[in-house]
Amino acid sequence: MQSFDLTLVAGPPGVGKTTWISQFLKDSSRPLFYLYPGGQESVDLARIGYRFPWVSLVSDDRAATVLADLPGQSQVFIELGFHLDLESPFLTALPGRRIAVVPPSLEKSEWHSWADEVMPGNHSQTWGSGKLPAIWKSPLTGQVFDPPSLDEALIELTGGAYGQVVRLKGIFELPDGQAFYVDFVEGLPGIEYTELKLPRWLQGRPDRFSGLEIVGCNLEQKRIAQTLLASCLADDVLIQYQRQYQQLQSEETEQEVMV
Amino acid sequence: MKLAVISCIHGNYEALDAVLSDINAQKADQIYCLGDLVGYGPYPNEVVDRIRSLAIPTCQGCWDEDIVEGLNACECSYPSQLAEQRGKLAHEWTNTEIRPDVREYLATLPLSLKRDNLCFVHGSPNSQHEYLLPSMDGFAALERILSTDADVLFCGHTHVPYVRELEGAKLSVTVKNPAQAEASQQFQVALKRIINAGSVGEPRHGRPNATYVLYDTETTQVTLREVAYEYAKTCLAILEKGLPPIFAWRLARGMEFAERADDPSHVCER
Repeated sequence: MQSFDLTLVAGPPGVGKTTWISQFLKDSSRPLFYLYPGGQESVDLARIGYRFPWVSLVSDDRAATVLADLPGQSQVFIELGFHLDLESPFLTALPGRRIAVVPPSLEKSEWHSWADEVMPGNHSQTWGSGKLPAIWKSPLTGQVFDPPSLDEALIELTGGAYGQVVRLKGIFELPDGQAFYVDFVEGLPGIEYTELKLPRWLQGRPDRFSGLEIVGCNLEQKRIAQTLLASCLADDVLIQYQRQYQQLQSEETEQEVMV
Repeated sequence: MKLAVISCIHGNYEALDAVLSDINAQKADQIYCLGDLVGYGPYPNEVVDRIRSLAIPTCQGCWDEDIVEGLNACECSYPSQLAEQRGKLAHEWTNTEIRPDVREYLATLPLSLKRDNLCFVHGSPNSQHEYLLPSMDGFAALERILSTDADVLFCGHTHVPYVRELEGAKLSVTVKNPAQAEASQQFQVALKRIINAGSVGEPRHGRPNATYVLYDTETTQVTLREVAYEYAKTCLAILEKGLPPIFAWRLARGMEFAERADDPSHVCER
């Protein structure tokens, strides 16, 4: 008899699948597992890991082994990207509760036919299976951004300067040692910035995951890469910034000690 | 007398042509130009030729100076690393494209122009590179006007048009001399105005339309004009002439090509 709960979550890009799953990851009293098939080095995987360090992140190559030997009372969430075939033998063979997160206005779709339960999500755009948008990923680990340049680059990207962007999510490192999660869904207002509660990285290039994922159409990948690269800090500039922030940090610590 | 004040054309011939037509329709008696004839846009030579052919009194802008003297930017010139790289690309392209006689003409332009109680500059009376942002500290803004002996200071450079009135300002000066009693004196400053003409060829107000200013010397009335033009032609020329495609995208949205000034307290060190 199965001694763990398995939940499969599917839906269109930007609808809020990760957000829906996140509400169940706050309770660390049970062993929690999160899988994102095909999402090796993915922004979602890293974000879950940064936000809920007690959750075990399972990579594709370890999935079969981990699922075969789960501790009792485990809760497993598998997030299925919109590009995955829900009727594939692997996914249909998985025993678990099937949740579709869909835009409230969507009444009929392949997700509705597949799911046990349908949850309302964001008012994001949906796509027919014959005309799926492309996914473009750029690992950025070690890169630190000039903050105003990053702002400009994101405004241009989400404004359509390099092709139509349906969804953008990324984790970016800044010179003050902080990392930010950035979220954009076409049709929803603005670009959302969330500070990740991670230790400030002020010694050289950050050795933790950061990256960008874009879902869209007619994406000009070379120009996007050039713009991102032009927004990243060179070694000498980064060292200069980090020295200033280290100095500031030590002054703040001294003041706290005096108080 | 009706004056038309234009600024920051940035090699955008289509925008200049539309603005000159509008000025003609508004029956302005005299045009003044506050510089930045070149830079970013695809037609630097043609814009200078048109300004010269009309003998429009023009002062030197920061881009005009850079093309003559070479790049030597203060930190305010480029508020981001991305903007700096794009600015350098635009400078290199313009530097290659520009004719020797155009460069010589730009070198002859004065830093400021005066007409009765009016003064015309590109950025501020201190420098072509300094921004007089509308949110600039009132005392500093007043100091800039008083340094010119004018009542009305026309400027550009920010690419966003505005009118700022500095009214009823009182200045108090105290002289401390050990040998004498402390002496204080107060000055009442008459109404002073800063009028920013915005930008003909590189607007930053969220629409692609060109802007300029009309000023009536009899009534002191100011009219900010916004002129639609065929910006798609300029965008196409940007692509055809090998300038970065992002310039065309930004121009079409009134986002300026690459720069953005955002610190009203910054004192330019150029």
